Amino acid sequence: MRYCFAMSERKNIIDMQQLMLRYPTGKVALSGVNLTISQGQFVYLTGESGAGKSSLLRMFYGGLRPSSGQLKVQETDMRMAGEAVVRAVRRRTGIVFQDHRLLFSRTIFENVALPLRVQGWSNERLIPRVRKVLEFVRLDDRLWSYPEALSGGEQQRIAIARAMIATPPVVLADEPTGNLDEETARHVLDLLMGLNELGTTVIMATHDLHLLNSHPGRVIQLHAGALVGDSYATR
Amino acid sequence: MQPDNVRIHLPGGMNMPPFGIHQYLALIIVAVSLWALGSVWMGLQATGQWVGTWQQQMVLHVYLPQEHKKELQALEAGLQGVDGVAQVEYVAREDSAQWMRQWLGSSTLDVKTLAERLPETLLVRLLDNESGQFIVDDIRDVAERMHAAMNEDEVQLLGMREVLDKAETLIWFVTVLLALAMALIVSNTLRMILLARADEVHLMRLMGAKEWFVRMPFVLEGVVLGAGAGLLAWLLLWPWIWGSSEWLAGSMIELHVGILLLPLLIGGALLGCLGALIATARLVSPDSVAGA
Repeated sequence: MRYCFAMSERKNIIDMQQLMLRYPTGKVALSGVNLTISQGQFVYLTGESGAGKSSLLRMFYGGLRPSSGQLKVQETDMRMAGEAVVRAVRRRTGIVFQDHRLLFSRTIFENVALPLRVQGWSNERLIPRVRKVLEFVRLDDRLWSYPEALSGGEQQRIAIARAMIATPPVVLADEPTGNLDEETARHVLDLLMGLNELGTTVIMATHDLHLLNSHPGRVIQLHAGALVGDSYATR
Repeated sequence: MQPDNVRIHLPGGMNMPPFGIHQYLALIIVAVSLWALGSVWMGLQATGQWVGTWQQQMVLHVYLPQEHKKELQALEAGLQGVDGVAQVEYVAREDSAQWMRQWLGSSTLDVKTLAERLPETLLVRLLDNESGQFIVDDIRDVAERMHAAMNEDEVQLLGMREVLDKAETLIWFVTVLLALAMALIVSNTLRMILLARADEVHLMRLMGAKEWFVRMPFVLEGVVLGAGAGLLAWLLLWPWIWGSSEWLAGSMIELHVGILLLPLLIGGALLGCLGALIATARLVSPDSVAGA
């Protein structure tokens, strides 16, 4: 594996300076983090449990506000942003969770269509769009099935389809392979890589460092809320 | 394309959650409460007609025996001077005879002779809202001084109207209390549905849904639930009418159930809406924008 510091001239999707996050309990989750992520990068956020990976991801979609410092996401100042602005950022952000958070009482179509549904798309426009996205994750034959009929890996692929349907410039993935076996995890990561090749910035929190051997990308390492490493992993 | 047996039901916006057992149960409870209220108001309407509150003004008749006929003018002036009396009218003997003729119908009684033996009659109209016991006592004092007498049945009806007025106030109070209780029943039902759909609400917020988009389905469900309960309550009033139609006809009571439809329908919808607003007032998700 070869490491090098990533330099990019492309537009910054994420830009943070001296970022600090303190929970109401007093616990400091992140401290003094300086980081820039450019458009089109594939970024791994690594670190031990409690290092601040999930907190950082939550700040990227406005689930948490920085206590101090500066955080710009898609050129929006997340510290000062009002509710409407945060909503706009969320509409331009795809999110994949470890537990995929699919709605089991809804069909695959209804699950995948949700991000565009909240943007006011009609069913007539949604059906071809959802079908196309499901083709990308190779599950277009399951359009009208329910999530419980799918395996864990397939459910995670549906979650990826849901995250990408609104063609967001950035997809955040919080341990998307955490509950999957190695083979399935590799397939899921293939999809995220494919999404990245289409121009989407992918930021993925993970423990599975062995995935870096087969799927290279920029590796940002956190430890106890501080940035301790920023390198580039290649095959 | 979409298979025939698949029905797309996307959450949020103007799409209501499907009705389940909880919603039907709440609908029945609210309908029974609204039906009870509708029945009470209908009963008040019937009693009101029965005691003659349909009259614009309450009237009292004062009778002066013919042997004291010379005091008629003094009696009329005395009654006119009582506070709260709007007007005093002399009822001509011919008018009494005419009324008796109509009342007796095909009877062979000699109405003219009967009318000539009637006492002199004065009709006393009261000012609006002047139906208290004091004014009755004042009229009775004046009448007795002039050897006249009041129609005590009318006095009793006047008292009945006061009772009805108090009953109406009480019914309003009960209506407001029941309305609040019904709103809380709707709110509790919707709260359960909200909890069952917390993941859906959370996801929609994460995807940037506006608050109205997230809350509207529940508000709509509350409105439909309330309006449905109002309609059911109105339909349940009809067995009352059919069951008591003979008695109502015999008592010269004509109930207008139709006028209760809109109050029950709109009232139910407003209650449902209020319940939904209470239920969705504290709809917090872990990563909601406001809570961040």
